[in-house]
Amino acid sequence: MGSEEQLDAPRPQGQWALAWRRFKRDRVAVGCGIFLLVLVFAVGPGAPLYERIVGHGPNDFFPYAVSVSLRPAGPLTVTWNTPVMSGDNPFVFKHPDPPKGTGKTFLLLGADSALGRDEFLRVLYGGRVSLEIAAGAALLAILIGLLLGSIAGFYGGWTDAVISRFTDLVMAFPLLLFLVLIGSLFAHGLTDWTFHGLINQGVFQLILIIGAFTWFYPARIVRAQIMSLRHKEFVEAAQMVGARDSRIVRTHLLPHVLPPLLAYGTLLVATNIMIEVGVTFLGAGIKLPTASWGSLLAQTWGSVLNPNAYNPATVQPWLTLVPSLAIFATVFSLNQFGEGLREATDPRSVR
Amino acid sequence: MAGYILRRVGIAIVLIWVLSVITFAIYLKVPADPAGFIVDIQHSSPAQIAQAHHILGTDRPAVVQYAKYMERLLHGDFGVSWPTVAFFNGQVHGASVGRMVWKALLVTGSLALGGFVLLLLVAVPVGTFAATRPRSLFDRLSLGLSVAAISTHPLVVGLLLQLFVGNKWKLLPASGYCTVSAPSKAELTNWKLFAPGGSPKPCGGVGEWAWHLLLPWLTFALFFVALYMRIVRARMLEVLEEPWVRTARAKGASEFRVIRAHALRNAIAPIVTMSAMDAGMAIGVAMYIETVFGLPGLGRTLIRALAGFQGYDLPVILAVTMVAAAVIILLNLVADLLLLAIDPTVARQGRGMMRRATTS
Repeated sequence: MGSEEQLDAPRPQGQWALAWRRFKRDRVAVGCGIFLLVLVFAVGPGAPLYERIVGHGPNDFFPYAVSVSLRPAGPLTVTWNTPVMSGDNPFVFKHPDPPKGTGKTFLLLGADSALGRDEFLRVLYGGRVSLEIAAGAALLAILIGLLLGSIAGFYGGWTDAVISRFTDLVMAFPLLLFLVLIGSLFAHGLTDWTFHGLINQGVFQLILIIGAFTWFYPARIVRAQIMSLRHKEFVEAAQMVGARDSRIVRTHLLPHVLPPLLAYGTLLVATNIMIEVGVTFLGAGIKLPTASWGSLLAQTWGSVLNPNAYNPATVQPWLTLVPSLAIFATVFSLNQFGEGLREATDPRSVR
Repeated sequence: MAGYILRRVGIAIVLIWVLSVITFAIYLKVPADPAGFIVDIQHSSPAQIAQAHHILGTDRPAVVQYAKYMERLLHGDFGVSWPTVAFFNGQVHGASVGRMVWKALLVTGSLALGGFVLLLLVAVPVGTFAATRPRSLFDRLSLGLSVAAISTHPLVVGLLLQLFVGNKWKLLPASGYCTVSAPSKAELTNWKLFAPGGSPKPCGGVGEWAWHLLLPWLTFALFFVALYMRIVRARMLEVLEEPWVRTARAKGASEFRVIRAHALRNAIAPIVTMSAMDAGMAIGVAMYIETVFGLPGLGRTLIRALAGFQGYDLPVILAVTMVAAAVIILLNLVADLLLLAIDPTVARQGRGMMRRATTS
């Protein structure tokens, strides 16, 4: 009976199935994708869960986790669970005992500074803030770029001219200088928009600022792509049938634009993380006590107006290494993942 | 040719002007009272505050303020830095912003220039060597390292170098800047006589200048070396396929001579001109490095003007943004002209393609 069975006619594979098959072959990109998934879970639901398990928040002080010479404790520390130091004699070489009945608490990566906050929780919550900003700004940039880019590519004319000139202007200018300028000059306006505690203070402001200055490249990509397809036969056929412009763009042109834009968006998230870290480090981004990867990186070094003098007795190099590694791993994974996406969705790719 | 240059310069001037208007407009939106630079706002009478505004010129309408500023700018006067303003003998005195920005420009310039030379010294040999042996272990290793270097934040590199090399192991100075010219005798005597406790000895001279800038240069170079190494490698691979390279080999030139005299020359020339297009990103990276290593460059000057305790130092902010934009536009113009001189065929159309997506 098996011999009479007909083989199914091979179905043509869809665009996305093909891309997925190509993507799977890129081991590095797949690994980075898994890392990113784990990261998103760790900073999303993982952070409050860990907070519940250890029983303290990212902004709680543990003065007992700081040595007498103000050196923060290293990783895997168990410390007294109290925000106040009992006794007020400064001439001690050892912390006084805490009041009776004080419990213990656990700091996985030790204390973050002379204030003795939980470094691991701050890295998690800081990652959440940084990723929110980076992803939000990338999404904003892509949306604006998609809208204006398709208008410019489809109709040409003044939108095209404006977008091209704007891109030239922004390309000719140090983006970071402008971000810091606007970030600190507008520090008073949008900082308190948190959408009922959904996002942290200052996040929305940074999303708007970074998004507003990075949409030019996505717009360029969309514009170039749509311009090249604008006079192809399938578009003319759709026009002949009587499809409206918006329908042509949506159903006929957008599927061609989306894959490269998706890959570019991933790379944009990576650059946005770098920008957030930089802007916060330079004092124009997220304000303390909210943690972000930029502020964690600046913690040991000090602030822009008064950097901490180096004191070997108090400096814990560990605290610079941890956020550095977090930033590097995330940016590296996003870059590799984006490269993999680009390769996989590129129809000219040989893989 | 002359018309082309004139048009470019015209566009550049319009760009800088637009930029100054934007900066001015943003500043006007800021709810900070500049009178705080001169009087203690909480403990002075309205008359005193009005007098302070009069000295700073902020009592006039915005348009007049802007016009006055532009008028002085056309005479080469950037005004005085607000936190240093003093008023006596019926005249306004203070630190000249022009001189301040010029000094800062020299610092940023020596950072970027030295870093650029260092990065070329690394990127060109490594890129060339990798291109002559494609797919070899060296090639793959250098490519892998460049992928990692591209994902590393310049702040991370700077902080780690400063913390370990500078502070912990004390191999190189961890921060501070020394001028190229040696400190004058007067400065030295002044320091000996009046130095408040702990103020560092005035340093200077080419040796000390380079010694103090080594770590910043390294940071700068490490960030860009990955990009440039890849470009050198890609260009080299292209050039090695060219017929003139085959001819050089055919006439019996040694492989070293083929690479050095025939291939490298053609591969490098466009790269030097392309680097001008990275000037915007370089100023951004320089801003990080200046902050970390405490170099009084353009970026740090801007940050100090923005983050001062009394408020925003508008003349300095305006001057820094405009000077930075002018430098970048000027470098781009020079790059365009150089490209035009090297290869007239690509100059008109090819330029937009040669830009990379630069975002930091």
